Amino acid sequence: MFDILKERFGYDSFRIGQREIIEDVLNGQNCVAMLPTGGGKSLCYQLPGYILNGSVLIISPLVSLMEDQVQQLRNRGEKRVVALNRFLSYREKRDVLRELASYRFIYASPEILQSPLLIEALTRINISLFVVDEAHCISQWGHDFRPDFLKLGLLRQTLGNPPCLALTATATRQVIADIVTTLKLDDVKQHIYPLDRPNICLYVQYVQTVEEKITTLKHLVAILPKPGIVYVASRQWAETLSEVLREDHRVSYYHGGMDGEQRLLIQQQFVYDQLDVICCTNAFGMGIDKPNVRFVIHFHLPTQPEAYWQEVGRVGRDGNESIAILLYAPGDEQVGQTIIDMEFPTMEQIVYALNALRHGQKETGLTDVQQRLLLYWLEQMDKQEHIHTLAKQLYARMEQRKKEKLTKWIFMQRWVTGHTCRRRSLLSYFEQQPLKNERCCDQCGAHIHANATIERIQQIQLRPWHEELRSMFAIKVGNK
Amino acid sequence: MLQHIVLFCIDRFRGERSLAAIDHLLNGKKTAQTLQDSKWYDVSRLFGMVPIDRSRLFDVARALEADGFISQVDEHIYCTTASGKEKLRRFILPPYIDGWKYMNESSLFWKRLSLLIQTIANIIHRTSFEPIHRDEHIQSFVKRWLFQHTHIKTLARSLYEEMYELLSYVEEKDANIFVWRLTSHERIGWTNEQIAYAINEEDVAVLLSFQNVLHFMLEMTEKEAEKFPLLYSLRERKRSQLTSSAQKTWELLKEGYSLEQIAQLRGLRKGTIEDHIVEIATYIPTFVLTPFLEESKRKRIIQQARQLKTKKLRAIKELLPDVSYFEIRLALARWEREDV
Repeated sequence: MFDILKERFGYDSFRIGQREIIEDVLNGQNCVAMLPTGGGKSLCYQLPGYILNGSVLIISPLVSLMEDQVQQLRNRGEKRVVALNRFLSYREKRDVLRELASYRFIYASPEILQSPLLIEALTRINISLFVVDEAHCISQWGHDFRPDFLKLGLLRQTLGNPPCLALTATATRQVIADIVTTLKLDDVKQHIYPLDRPNICLYVQYVQTVEEKITTLKHLVAILPKPGIVYVASRQWAETLSEVLREDHRVSYYHGGMDGEQRLLIQQQFVYDQLDVICCTNAFGMGIDKPNVRFVIHFHLPTQPEAYWQEVGRVGRDGNESIAILLYAPGDEQVGQTIIDMEFPTMEQIVYALNALRHGQKETGLTDVQQRLLLYWLEQMDKQEHIHTLAKQLYARMEQRKKEKLTKWIFMQRWVTGHTCRRRSLLSYFEQQPLKNERCCDQCGAHIHANATIERIQQIQLRPWHEELRSMFAIKVGNK
Repeated sequence: MLQHIVLFCIDRFRGERSLAAIDHLLNGKKTAQTLQDSKWYDVSRLFGMVPIDRSRLFDVARALEADGFISQVDEHIYCTTASGKEKLRRFILPPYIDGWKYMNESSLFWKRLSLLIQTIANIIHRTSFEPIHRDEHIQSFVKRWLFQHTHIKTLARSLYEEMYELLSYVEEKDANIFVWRLTSHERIGWTNEQIAYAINEEDVAVLLSFQNVLHFMLEMTEKEAEKFPLLYSLRERKRSQLTSSAQKTWELLKEGYSLEQIAQLRGLRKGTIEDHIVEIATYIPTFVLTPFLEESKRKRIIQQARQLKTKKLRAIKELLPDVSYFEIRLALARWEREDV
């Protein structure tokens, strides 16, 4: 085990929990594991992949996350890895299916696992381990419920109940219970590790107006050690703040509205320290394992504690002192309310979508998330019913969900306006206790340290094209 | 720039098409109507060249109207005014842009080229890197392509020369923009938007400069394939198609000339002809290997490669001292083919 750790992954030792989880996995034990973000969850199934006979099937909700993982494996020289998602053409899929057994790691999105052809192919090969990544998506109490995940229990049965490893970074006890029931995990071992990251200082900075927020942000970015991330609630804000900050630093924005190539460029610039600050929506960060991020600033209060904790978890993965600052101004409570309102369709929108579905149209006018939810509920209803009856039922369920979201939002508001230890109150949401902290939070008396000793990373200048070209191809000057 | 582009389209559409048609044209919507329009009104060069939000397009139209360059004739339909015509007189589209002609090819060509350059730059500087394109097909294309060429330094030099020649033809600014978009061993490529900010230009202008160079490369590699064999070989072609130089070698081979004779005849190095033959073996299924590689040797090479689970030439060579690198490459080229 240690040899593989060293040879394949280049590590000398395991991080907290990894060894225990891997040992259980190798013994064929069903496991649910909760490790903090950046705690090396993927190693828990990748290492066993080199010991177990057969293929490891990994179900992952996000295509971009899947691609990151596959690329990382390939960079380590692993060729027997494949990602199955809706971007594969029919022919590619067919080719992959034919040689399915030859892959050590098979990544698949839950959508594609609806395909009978694929399921059939999977039953014919030996699945040594059934991994559910981001397993909290299974639970409607989780912050990112994906109805497709509910079918994974059945899928696992179809595949002859291979040993299962369910992984998550943020889940309450209720969510973990949901994971166990849905995946039908008998005799399950739970590996719940502390979510706390003691090297991250939590700091809430109150300001009076949006303008003050911006000046504070500028000031903070100037004095804090970099690189850092600024999270905002909308694409527009990501662009605006990037514009404000880029006068003095190497800054760019990142959001879901950009095309894939430009997004990857920005991501890699950040990873290779060619950017100091990235202003982004929650589209940024999944699957990026950058150890030296020194700060994260939330320009808007996230609506859910799970999301907030995940974003905070992107700093200080190297274990060095880091800080997460949240800027809060009176009136911000409106922002969250608006976001949640927009997440749910109105009665008219539901009726419109139902009509569209009945007429076999693809454009329902709903967002992806709304549509997934609606279709899932619709499956449990009598589709012959009158549209308005259905709409009423659906609307009631949406309202129910909205209420649950609002509860989370209210938690976040209480948290931000409260006067108790930030860490203790946030971790209480996950029913956990803080670890020992020297620089805990603003309520415990921590301060923001300016760090002037950090050297400015040298700007890479844009050179004229012929110089750039010569440098790329290592052509000596004077030759041409 | 965007103002000019929109004004240009409005002018060409002569008050017969709405802003929606311009939206579809600039975003490259592949519907019968848009395809027809772009030919009929002679705006096909702009097809898919300026992907922008509809709201931004409407903003531009409003600004043009406010400045008196266009006037509304119907809902969302505009006509150019006299001053609009005047404004257009000094405007020329970037000369090489042809969105229509290259709509299927340019993005693929760019991805291959940029990944190839990133790879070469990192190999010769001995640095590690993460591919700038995730697409598996692009990655395996570049891998296969590199496999066909032996000396990385020579290759870098030749590719440099091709690029240098083409880029010296275009405007300095366009050439800069194109090269800044590329990723090397020391700098991740910049986005359009970043370049626009750095040189204080409109993002659409930067995008069009980039496309202008890209389309120029496609045009030139088509017209003068022999002058730019490496760039030409990055273009999408059918399995059977060879680079034009390899094609000539193939013709001579079919006439019965030997490798040495062809080298002499064409005034090329023997190594170059060997490269051609590997390429021919890869792409022409009917090409018979035996004159260059005995069947028994071929079997031994493949067996060795299987055992070692590698396509690394040196590893195989070490175990089979009696075979040449050329023979190994030939065997593997065909093996790759059968593999697929």
